[in-house]
Amino acid sequence: MEHTVSYLGLIPLFPLMGALVLGVMHIYSCSRGKIPEKLYAGIACVGPVISFIYALIVFFQLKGMPPESRFLVHDAFTWFSVGDLHITMGFLADPLSSLMLLFVTFIGSLIHIYSIGYMAKDENFGKFFSYMNLFLGSMLILVLGSGPVVMFVGWEGVGLCSYLLISYYSEDTDNVLAGNKAFIVNRIGDLGFLLGMAFLFWAIGAGGFDYLSLRENSHLLTPGIGLVVCLLLFVGACGKSAQIPLFVWLPDAMAGPTPVSALIHAATMVTAGVYMVARFSFIYAHVPIAGTVVAWTGILTALLAAIFGMFQRDIKKILAYSTVSQLGYMFAGVGVAAYSAGIFHVFTHAFFKALLFLGAGAVIYALHHEQDIWKMGGLKDKMPKTYWTMLIGALALAGCPPFAGFFSKDEILFSALATGHTGIWVIGVTVAGITAYYTFRMIFLVFHGTPRDKEAFDHAEEAPGVMTIPLIVLAVGALFAGFLNLPSIFGGNLNVSHWLAPSLVDHHPHVGISVELLAIATSVIAFAIGITIAYRKFGMGAEEPEYTGFAKFGYNKFYIDELYNTVLIKPYKAIGSVIWKSLEPNVTDLPVKLSSWLYQKAGAAFKVFQVGYVRIYAIYMVIGLSIMSLLLSQSLN
Amino acid sequence: MNDFLSLFPLLIICSGGILLMLLSAFERVKLENAPVLSMGIFGAAFVMQLIASGIPESTLYADTFNGMLVSNGFTHAASLVIIGCGFFTSMSCHTYFRQNNPCTMEFYSLLFFAAFGMLLLTLSRELITTFISLEIMSLAIYILVGYDRKRVTSTEALLKYLLLGAFAGAFFTMGSALIYGGAGSTKFYDIGIFISTHSAATPLLIGGTFFIFIAFLFKVAAFPFHAWVIDVYEGAATPVTGFMATALKAAIFTVFANFLALNSALQKEWVDFLFYIALFTMFGGNLIAIGQANIKRMLAASGIVHTGYLLIGLVAISTESFTGSVIAYYLAAYAVGTLGIFAALSYLGGKGEKRMSFDDFKGLAKVRPYSAAAIAVFLLSMAGIPPTAGFMGKFYIITSAISAGQMALAVFAVVSSILSMWYYLRLIIIMYFHEAEDAFEIESSVFAPACTFILVFFVFAIGLYPIVV
Repeated sequence: MEHTVSYLGLIPLFPLMGALVLGVMHIYSCSRGKIPEKLYAGIACVGPVISFIYALIVFFQLKGMPPESRFLVHDAFTWFSVGDLHITMGFLADPLSSLMLLFVTFIGSLIHIYSIGYMAKDENFGKFFSYMNLFLGSMLILVLGSGPVVMFVGWEGVGLCSYLLISYYSEDTDNVLAGNKAFIVNRIGDLGFLLGMAFLFWAIGAGGFDYLSLRENSHLLTPGIGLVVCLLLFVGACGKSAQIPLFVWLPDAMAGPTPVSALIHAATMVTAGVYMVARFSFIYAHVPIAGTVVAWTGILTALLAAIFGMFQRDIKKILAYSTVSQLGYMFAGVGVAAYSAGIFHVFTHAFFKALLFLGAGAVIYALHHEQDIWKMGGLKDKMPKTYWTMLIGALALAGCPPFAGFFSKDEILFSALATGHTGIWVIGVTVAGITAYYTFRMIFLVFHGTPRDKEAFDHAEEAPGVMTIPLIVLAVGALFAGFLNLPSIFGGNLNVSHWLAPSLVDHHPHVGISVELLAIATSVIAFAIGITIAYRKFGMGAEEPEYTGFAKFGYNKFYIDELYNTVLIKPYKAIGSVIWKSLEPNVTDLPVKLSSWLYQKAGAAFKVFQVGYVRIYAIYMVIGLSIMSLLLSQSLN
Repeated sequence: MNDFLSLFPLLIICSGGILLMLLSAFERVKLENAPVLSMGIFGAAFVMQLIASGIPESTLYADTFNGMLVSNGFTHAASLVIIGCGFFTSMSCHTYFRQNNPCTMEFYSLLFFAAFGMLLLTLSRELITTFISLEIMSLAIYILVGYDRKRVTSTEALLKYLLLGAFAGAFFTMGSALIYGGAGSTKFYDIGIFISTHSAATPLLIGGTFFIFIAFLFKVAAFPFHAWVIDVYEGAATPVTGFMATALKAAIFTVFANFLALNSALQKEWVDFLFYIALFTMFGGNLIAIGQANIKRMLAASGIVHTGYLLIGLVAISTESFTGSVIAYYLAAYAVGTLGIFAALSYLGGKGEKRMSFDDFKGLAKVRPYSAAAIAVFLLSMAGIPPTAGFMGKFYIITSAISAGQMALAVFAVVSSILSMWYYLRLIIIMYFHEAEDAFEIESSVFAPACTFILVFFVFAIGLYPIVV
């Protein structure tokens, strides 16, 4: 059923090698003088681009095979084996992972190219690209891993890299704290993943602990264990994909350089959770309750993040909350067992969110690191390329037909409606309206109206080609990616869904065309309402309002950070400091210190005997001898 | 032929010593070349010993020597350790004597005679032969210790060692006489037969064995015969100290184990005695070591502790299937670590051994990171941290103690090993966590540093691929 190919392992290897080489070069340059940026940039882009080419090869090879046997495997080596647990460093390319592979490497490569411009003249240029390569390599391991354990390697790798890249500007304590926050929150999720993996192994791992074997054995799972596994794995997904209650790290993660935000926090890393749920669709499909939990968590996250997004003033935070919100949609999709719809939204979202982030990066770059949208305005004419590409991205995000986001979001909402999750559908449509509102609030404030900061406006100019070309490429993607999965109502035949079918346990509800029309109509209406309100309020240029009442509450993110701080972090720290200050020195350390003190004193006392006179030494010998002789003569009697 | 092959390394060493002594008469032979030459001879002997190592247990020239000399796997291993020690000591000497009062050619000659005595000691299975080889070794070592007559500490060390050594040597002859009186023979084999047909617990035999043990225990610096070792190690030239600490211990322990293993009744009789000696030696050594401010004195004291571990190996000897592999491995593991650190001290010590206290090595890692790392490796090996040779050595010793039913001793060994961290880690902390106050300038040759790093390799090589003979 599956074919073995020997190049799958190379795909993550190229960026990883790049990371190593760049890292060594950077360390070298620290002590031995500078290495030109061009050299770094060249090496940095080689790995992702080669990986992308391989991703294409994988895709076409899979395409040439009959649909039901589209599995390519490559077992590089046996990693470890303990008892029943035999873990090979194996890679699996099936329709699902090949789709992920394609856009991860494609968008990753574009972001690398864009970063050459954005990060130019940065002091740690080499370090940045080393981390970026490492990140991409980890993401590819995550996507290509043939089993949960290998996936976990990549999972941890992207966690590490996000930490490194978020706190990249480490001179500023806030950035370091943001990095810490991301890492710690992710670790909480990781614990869930680990436990879920352990349960899964305990239940059905004996027959092989890779996806294909697990899938075959998945019918052996009892519903109870299945539910536990699903929920635990979902905790992991919540951490990585920023869902309630672990979403708090993602907005703070915008502290990193903007390309990092685009790469990690929009296009690739955060999608890992959705990918994981889809990967384990063969388990989730058996446990509908778990799916419902996932879907509701997702849609509530979408709502909450959308509300937060309405009131933010930092352009990157707005985008960050929109990411959280869109991730919520994806989980709603996979939660209602429309796995292919969820993954398709991952796919389109990667294009338009990377586009929006990179566009925002261009704006920030032009305004010399100004991120407050209330200090921008009227940039439309100054930065036409950025404006038009970002407009496409915004339309895609807001779900305007026929842009990419419309089709993918609509499919999720339609699936929710069709499977009878009316509540989810209603919230989803509401969120669609809010999304249109805050997205265009941002667009209008940044690009339309009159400049609010005259001086910065005068110095602003269009970004260099190395930055705008990726924008244009992504804009094309944001424009057309949706057509890949055109539903039959528009004359398409759901290409992506069919492509993904062998990897997933998908449900395609058959309902009347009226339901589908209803779903589409409401989405479009929601979009129209949202954009109209945004235009009324901000389209003509607006002054910054006072944040009062609910707006203040929303601007402060419902004080959730403060809540976590009071309820969880402070007590935790208090316990820690009790242990540190009283328990450890008095209970555990004291006996140790006491015995070492005693020992030291004994040593000092013993030193006295080492007088240095040879006659004294001889006396020791004689005394020792005498005592021993006495004892020996005892034994003779 | 096999007999000749087994003795051949011994002959090479002996003729090497004589050759160097003769060469010292020629002015054209430069002193600089002597260590290189002696490395060559030791190297040749090592290769020959390696070739001879495949030979099974045999009594060498039974007609001529009448069973006085027996070689087996254990003696081969011990001989390899001794010859290796000689090789690396010569290597360190090259550098050491550039920075200190220069020696003469005879120094190396004495090194060979000492090694010859040691090799003979490992082979000897007869009390008189043992005594003679003991004296050959000791006399050469005495001179080596006091070779630098201009230095007061050196002369002082010589005097102390000589006086106490003579005191202990007298015990050996006395013991031999008593045993001869009791068993009617001086050959180990005959003594063993006598004990198995009669009893080991006669006054003559007990007294004789006791006296012989005292001489051995003195030479390996076991409690309470340890007091000399601190002053002597400090006074001797650094490479000589390294040689004494390793090769001498290897030789004595080999003959000690051979003697003890000759009869189970004998071994059983002395297990309790050795148990307490081992215990006191380990803890006494530790107590002395933590008070020391001088690294050589600390190492001397830690050498006492290692003697304690080796005594555990003796306690755990099983006479039925004695191979000595545990002891031989420990000796080798201990030798690479100790020789390594003494080689490092040979060049880092500087002119006239000016850097020898803990405080002198403050911040070494900042100035000479590689040397500091090498020293750290040796210290960790001596402390018994995996994956070093020292760890495997301790592991074998402790497991042998457990399988011999000496659970208490095994526990004490572990406790002692933890205590020993105190002074080993102290040096590492001083090297790594202080700012450098010294530039650590040295007038070095490449030999001692090379020796250090080769031994670092061996620490890991022996630790990761333990070859148990």
